Amino acid sequence: MTAGAPILVVDDDLDLLSVMEIVLSDAGYAVRTATDGRSALACVAREMPALVLLDMRMPGMNGWEFAREFRARHGRAAPIVVVTAAEDARRRAEEIGADAWLAKPFDLDDMLAVVARFRAGEPAMEPPAAG
Amino acid sequence: MLVWIAFSDRVADALADGRARGVLHLGMGAAFAALSAAILLALIRSGERAAIGLAAEIRSAVDAMADGVLVVDEAGRVVEANRAAAELLGVPSKDDLLRSLDDWAIRFVLRAIDGAPVPSHRFAPRSRAGERATRYDGILRRADGRDVFVAVAASPVERPEGPQLTVNILRDVSAARRLDELREEFISVAAHEFKTPLAVVKAYAQLMQRREPSEAQPLAVIQRQVDRLSRLVQHLLDVSRLRQGASEGRRDRFDLSALAAEIVERMRPTTPAHELRVEAPAPAPVLADRDRIACVLTSLLDNAVRFSPAGGPIQARIDVANGEALVSVGDRGLGIPRERQERIFERYYRAHAGTPEDYGGLGLGLDTSREIVQGHGGRMWFESEPGEGSTFHFSLPLDERIA
Repeated sequence: MTAGAPILVVDDDLDLLSVMEIVLSDAGYAVRTATDGRSALACVAREMPALVLLDMRMPGMNGWEFAREFRARHGRAAPIVVVTAAEDARRRAEEIGADAWLAKPFDLDDMLAVVARFRAGEPAMEPPAAG
Repeated sequence: MLVWIAFSDRVADALADGRARGVLHLGMGAAFAALSAAILLALIRSGERAAIGLAAEIRSAVDAMADGVLVVDEAGRVVEANRAAAELLGVPSKDDLLRSLDDWAIRFVLRAIDGAPVPSHRFAPRSRAGERATRYDGILRRADGRDVFVAVAASPVERPEGPQLTVNILRDVSAARRLDELREEFISVAAHEFKTPLAVVKAYAQLMQRREPSEAQPLAVIQRQVDRLSRLVQHLLDVSRLRQGASEGRRDRFDLSALAAEIVERMRPTTPAHELRVEAPAPAPVLADRDRIACVLTSLLDNAVRFSPAGGPIQARIDVANGEALVSVGDRGLGIPRERQERIFERYYRAHAGTPEDYGGLGLGLDTSREIVQGHGGRMWFESEPGEGSTFHFSLPLDERIA
């Protein structure tokens, strides 16, 4: 993970995509955006991100398919954080081998905290599993 | 708003339909099991009394049943089967079924819904005196390779002498299961459709709060209302999932402590004014319907949040004692007025309705919660002191099998 590598935000909701982009940019991160799995893969091919914030349910190539493709092509080159409205966010994240998850609706502070943790190079499932 | 109403209607329909279907399904299942056990017992006895004509009639009655019947002896041999069983298993004649289960397992594979193979001795459980039917759902791979979802009820046949027999009623529940899958898909789409706009509103309110600290108060109201709407949506989704008919009675093995921790994590960001804590000193393995127990926990926590309008601590605690998992959810909120305490488990009863402390909610939680807990062989009770808070408790039998 290079210090200047961008954060890739993938979500088909343009309003959400843009608020995430604004807040991450304000916090000093370089940000790339994509609205489905296919364009996210193209984005990754151009420039390996430091972290992927990934929506699951998207038209075209969805989050599951993106994660599978990404891992097949690039292994664990970047951590993936699942950002989903699904109720079983944790299970979804485990299913695709994601490194963390955020349940929608989320707090911007929580998003920033997760991003900061990964940028600091501390991979951990969020929140830590009980027991 | 229109969408919301349409959604509510669909959920209401789904609830009514699911409930009716579930009850009907269970009732019919139980009736069939009892009837068949009686018929088969009569069949066996009738042989002893040489009432051959009656035996033949009963045999054709069993043969005419819409559900598959397999009677298995202690040695695991199928001693009687009917036409529906042959059709369900995809063999030309019921006589093809009259063989040992071990031999039979080569041709048909029964798996639990989670994919684990079901040992063939489940068809011939060692019956203890007074033991009732055991029920389970499974996926049956037929001789032709097709999978069918089956609900199985295995009842010991009480006989004074002779080999112990078990009568198994197999019902094809594939259609209901497919309906469940569609419903599950609908719920997951609904979750996405409702939560995405909520996520957007919440994020922008927080963005504005960062940029316009002078507007903090109105923006906090927006967020609080978004959080409230999120909880309501969650509750509706939970309840609609809860009412699924065919999966009634399904059992998963899971750790109640871990589930409680997961639910509290999920809930914490929606209610920043409350200090949600989980205390679970030990794992609490149970064999129960995970989704339904999750609903019970969510409802209790949601009540604790709603009836502590001033914020404050909300504590979930899971203890293990005397073969039971004991769960309590306590708050330091309003408490329940003493004269209303005895009615709170009534459906649609809302203890605070029409009072200045009416904090909304659907009034669908406690009766359903208690029903679910009782359906698992547990109990639910509470203590409450007006002005000091309430604590709700429930118990579930521990799953003490060693995995």
